[in-house]
Amino acid sequence: MATDSPVSKDNRELSTHADRLQRVKRAAISVFIIFHLVAIVCWSLPTNNLLVHFVKESVRPYFVWSGLFQSWDMFGPDPKSVNSYLEAVVIYDDGTSQLWSFPRMEVLSYTDRYFKERYRKYGENLQNNEFADLWPDAARYIARLNSTSTHRVEKVMLVVRWSAIIPRSDNTYDRGPWDVNVFYTYTVKPEDLQ
Amino acid sequence: MKLGFVSDAWNRFFFAPQSPTPVALFRILYGVMVIATLILLRPDWLAWYGPHSWTSLATIQKMEPGMRLNLFTVIPQTNAAILAFFWIFLASAILLTFGFLTRVNTIIVFLCLASIQQRNLNILNGGDTFLRLAGLFLIFAPAGAAFSVDRLIRMRRGRESSEIPLSSPWAQRMIQIEMSLLYFISFCWKIQGASWIHGTALYYVYHLDELQRFPVPQWLLTPTVLKLGTWSALVMEFSLGVLVWIKKLRYIILTLGLVFHLYLEYSLNVPMFQWVVLSAYVLFIDPADLERVWNWIRNRIATSPLKAQSASR
Repeated sequence: MATDSPVSKDNRELSTHADRLQRVKRAAISVFIIFHLVAIVCWSLPTNNLLVHFVKESVRPYFVWSGLFQSWDMFGPDPKSVNSYLEAVVIYDDGTSQLWSFPRMEVLSYTDRYFKERYRKYGENLQNNEFADLWPDAARYIARLNSTSTHRVEKVMLVVRWSAIIPRSDNTYDRGPWDVNVFYTYTVKPEDLQ
Repeated sequence: MKLGFVSDAWNRFFFAPQSPTPVALFRILYGVMVIATLILLRPDWLAWYGPHSWTSLATIQKMEPGMRLNLFTVIPQTNAAILAFFWIFLASAILLTFGFLTRVNTIIVFLCLASIQQRNLNILNGGDTFLRLAGLFLIFAPAGAAFSVDRLIRMRRGRESSEIPLSSPWAQRMIQIEMSLLYFISFCWKIQGASWIHGTALYYVYHLDELQRFPVPQWLLTPTVLKLGTWSALVMEFSLGVLVWIKKLRYIILTLGLVFHLYLEYSLNVPMFQWVVLSAYVLFIDPADLERVWNWIRNRIATSPLKAQSASR
């Protein structure tokens, strides 16, 4: 009857140990996967029932910290039905004024459109009342862009212009009249221009 | 019995060793996407992230409170420091693309990417979000196990043979799941909107001035075609979210998805989004098929007239 040599016994013990370690590792990864799958699905679903809401709120600090937050609602539930763009009325300390326009994709070259698209997204958010906290910084930035040492900006007014996309009864498209709204006015302080 | 079946299926799906070539190829495409994103942002690095940017760090922290992985909160708020951050980020993305110190660079790229997104959340599109999420899971993937400088070094040192070692694909699966969720959740949002159900949604999308890119033939903008297009988009999103997991349908759906995104890339100005999502399609390709394509390319190069000419000299 053959007996195990000490070396092969050691090898067997080592491989059992490695198997056990592998199993523990796999179990830990499985827990990680299950947690993330449940959390990500609940976070993303366009519903807010009690369970989904509970999971969302529970994982919020972790998602916000780690960057796992996500939303996939592009053009949903309905796409925008108005064309809009932003401008700023810049008033100088000598009483003169000028109209400053945010980069508008439709008037840029194809290349510039690709580089400057972030301005479209930013403008879309900026004109939304929910993002009112962005307005003072935007006004200050425009003031700095348009100021010189001899020609200082005193006031910045943020303006949105919009026109509804009106479907005709024959299914063709009509552009509504352009409306305008000054949604924010900022008085520039000297320190804003530094 | 049933539990055993579920457990086996789970283990097969997430842990059965497979070739890491799809995720390695994805690493290259991912790196290129990050580099392209940084280059497109380059003229506005300081405008969006500088100390005197469109949105200050303090405003973002007020609007989006809570602990966040955001390196901008610890680096000095000076133009020089911000620019140095971006150059380091770009260098790391290049190294990641080539697969040099892959693991370290997946971590650096994710940290930097998460930071620029947390620093200015108001300029992001879905492509940015997908890059961030894929970046997180890429950290855990064997992204440098193939097509990488790391592997060449390991081979030269005799630590690896010419055969690429198999590895468990769980991190790759997480990125695949993220991609299909992107489509499926998008589908769920859309079917809640009247314009998608009535078939008028694309009518509005293609009349938004700011989104248009290259001119689209007029016949594609007729109400009937736009209606069909609207419903086709829903079918595509559902298919890419759910049916893509059925092996028999996979390549057909991915091919249709490719055409779908190329058309969107041509007609709508949403930079990088289409390419970022398309880059994840390689994760759905069977490693054996990837190998076949790779061998075919190698044979073509080996038998190209140019090569034959130089061999005859």
